[in-house]
Amino acid sequence: MDKTIEELHELLINKKITSKELVEEALKKSHEVEEKYNAFVTILDDAKETEVTDNLLSGIPFGIKDNYSTKDILSTGSSNTLKDYVPFFNATAVQKLLDAGAIPVNKTAMDEFGMGGTGTTCHTGIVKNPWDSTRMTAGSSAGSACAVAAGVYPYALGSDTGDSIRKPAAYCGIVGYKPTYGMISRYGLFPFASSLDHCGVLCRSVKDAAIVVDAMKGIDEHDMTSWDSRDIHLYESIDGNVKGMKLCYIKELCDSKNYPNASEELKSHLKNFMEKIELCKSLGMTVDEVSIDEKLLNALPSVYVAISCAEATSNMSNLTGIIFGPRGNGKNYEEMMMDHRTKGFSPLIKRRFVIGSYILQKENQERYFKNAGRVRRMLVDAWKKLYETYDAVILPVSSGPAKHLDSDKDMLTKDTAVLEEHLQIGNFGGFPSITIPDGFVSDLPVALNITGNCYNDSKVLNIAYALESAMDYKNQIAKEVK
Amino acid sequence: MPKFTKELVDDLAKKLLIGLSEEENQMVLDEFAIIDENLRKVEDFPNIKEVTPMTHALDDFSFTLREDVATPSIPIEDALRNCDSKEGREVEVPKVVGGEN
Repeated sequence: MDKTIEELHELLINKKITSKELVEEALKKSHEVEEKYNAFVTILDDAKETEVTDNLLSGIPFGIKDNYSTKDILSTGSSNTLKDYVPFFNATAVQKLLDAGAIPVNKTAMDEFGMGGTGTTCHTGIVKNPWDSTRMTAGSSAGSACAVAAGVYPYALGSDTGDSIRKPAAYCGIVGYKPTYGMISRYGLFPFASSLDHCGVLCRSVKDAAIVVDAMKGIDEHDMTSWDSRDIHLYESIDGNVKGMKLCYIKELCDSKNYPNASEELKSHLKNFMEKIELCKSLGMTVDEVSIDEKLLNALPSVYVAISCAEATSNMSNLTGIIFGPRGNGKNYEEMMMDHRTKGFSPLIKRRFVIGSYILQKENQERYFKNAGRVRRMLVDAWKKLYETYDAVILPVSSGPAKHLDSDKDMLTKDTAVLEEHLQIGNFGGFPSITIPDGFVSDLPVALNITGNCYNDSKVLNIAYALESAMDYKNQIAKEVK
Repeated sequence: MPKFTKELVDDLAKKLLIGLSEEENQMVLDEFAIIDENLRKVEDFPNIKEVTPMTHALDDFSFTLREDVATPSIPIEDALRNCDSKEGREVEVPKVVGGEN
């Protein structure tokens, strides 16, 4: 399970290993990882091997984030409000992988309904980082990142509304890719903020990301925001040829002078990133430093919270415990719903619902909701302007390696650095965006991100592949340092 | 516009059918204060009111409505399989009309 999908497929085809052996190994590792890091909601001990075909994914185990609907399999979204919920259908993305012969072996824990970025708000408890169990995995795709990094299987599904695939991938030293909005159907994915939600994958190499998304993508009559991508072949289009490509990075985010109180970890992270900029140049790409209005960037975190909370408040109003979910106590239906929601939701979710509701009040919409939408437009326009000249924007992910578990409780604070939140722009504009590991700080992995214009997924993956090939972090398995 | 106060937070939570502890109420106020401050600064952006708010991720978002053809509905048994309180083919709830008795 420490191999890439291509390598596993080769071994399967040549009968050096069997699908049954892979399933047994993945299940054994699942239990070990659950014991140590608390990464799963459900382990599917009755998972069975599948026939090995020409499909690269056939016979190979994978993990599913617990906000994907899985037929006859518990799907909780890591929330007490759905702690016993068993869907009667598969999410389209899951069904496509099953059709390819892939084998789900577990459902991974996540921040409740995807509404957190720490991996600490799952109803099953905190997910720990397999590199250092005193640190976070980040979230919300916490269990998926943990399990892939720990070598349970080569890939797991994630979802990404702000950075929920790409940041945990960074903290766990693996690859996290969300394609252009709508390339993968969201049918069967529990909605958080519909205009920002993306399906995607966490894995250990860029080619694996391409293989899995090739299998999951496609127009779906059940998701009217999905689009026809039959002419896009991600895996086949990866050739590593990046000569002449143009990249840019944002001065306001990458210049260490902008962080007068920078920690040693942040300084090392930025220095490491600039070394990778030089690496890009040595690969034949040009890289420019560009500037974006700092006021606009500084508005980003609040704008994200405003939009996502408003959409979430609406999306999750169906969680009442009446038609599904544990029935609350009370002498009338309102008391029952209140009991269900008060006991079921974590404090983070409740807080964000109230903020979302306030923002959506008629008298507040102009000041908060519409202005947030205006800033979203301005940020996306600024990025699209860059894409007129550049093939992609390259930036460091987060402010360093994984944070300590007691350091961040998902509270939006005044000193929230835009550096921590800039991946949200990829969700605002639906841009294809991939995180790959780019080094180590304090013996822990750090990462960079490459984000391109909509529909330019192949280009983004090619840049990532070229960089990955020039570094030593492809397909790395977590080595516990603490 | 009503000021964002502890009472307003409790009122909104009640409408959302969510109970908040004192601590949770304070956390809402603290977090919202930052959002409020940042979004107030946005009002000073030049020509901000002339910008059309962005509501979809894709600029070229388009879709075609499906043909209006009836397709089979899901079986009632499937629809009710996650319901804690049901009777036959129906969801069971306390009486909602005619008072509590």
